Amino acid sequence: MLHEAPQVLIALEQSGLAAAIRQSVWAYPAANVGHIVALTLFAGSVAIMDARLLGAFAAAPPADVVRPARRAAMLGLLLMAVTGFVLFTAEASHVAMNPVFQIKAALIALGLLNALFAGRALDAVLADTPARVPLPTRVRLSALLSLMIWISVAACGRLIAYF
Amino acid sequence: MLRKLTLGLLLMAGCAAAVLAHHGWGSYDASKPITVTGPIETSKYENPHATITVKAADKVWTVTLAPVSRMQSRGAPPELVAVGKTVAAYGYPSTVEKDEIRAERITVDGKTVEMR
Repeated sequence: MLHEAPQVLIALEQSGLAAAIRQSVWAYPAANVGHIVALTLFAGSVAIMDARLLGAFAAAPPADVVRPARRAAMLGLLLMAVTGFVLFTAEASHVAMNPVFQIKAALIALGLLNALFAGRALDAVLADTPARVPLPTRVRLSALLSLMIWISVAACGRLIAYF
Repeated sequence: MLRKLTLGLLLMAGCAAAVLAHHGWGSYDASKPITVTGPIETSKYENPHATITVKAADKVWTVTLAPVSRMQSRGAPPELVAVGKTVAAYGYPSTVEKDEIRAERITVDGKTVEMR
């Protein structure tokens, strides 16, 4: 674990953009609100997607639920990244050294890797699985892992302010 | 898959342990309130929190105030915490940063403003 923030993050925090974010009355709170709104979209669609993969809403063919939910999740993730960048930039060198933020960053990496690995083979499985048929164990395991990781990411995000 | 799951669980356990260490208003020790009094040396009226440095008798303290929109709505515009003003800041020392307190309230020109 680092004891001093990397130079690039110190430079980011000292940039004109970061100063503009800090000096604006509304930019930081707006990004904060936007981050939460994006979270509801992201977490909601991830939860629907993972719940279907785990066997909920079994009457619907999995592809009909998972594909649109995944698109919504990707939009939510994009909005989270944009608003998160604004929040991070304002205090980059401090936030980066926050232990909870470091756990959060590692969990995000893990969540994205899980989505990437699970997502690669998912389309073929979805096309082959009709309604009311359980999905393969590895698909259900990665859906469970996904749920646990993203809930932990959200918890860590909120806890950054307390450490 | 099992290894990924184990790693994920370990990281989440780390997060849970962090939750248990939570102690109130961020990383500030509310059991040791102090009042820092002196002239304001620097003033940053910025988000997420305004901050000032105060030259007290013992040393220069960094005093973390409130978000700027709250400062404004509570009646603490930038002029109130400008450089040169004398402030009395009641707050709690940081358990992380040296010589930093988070102010519960500040008094300037006989006017007291709550920061929380």
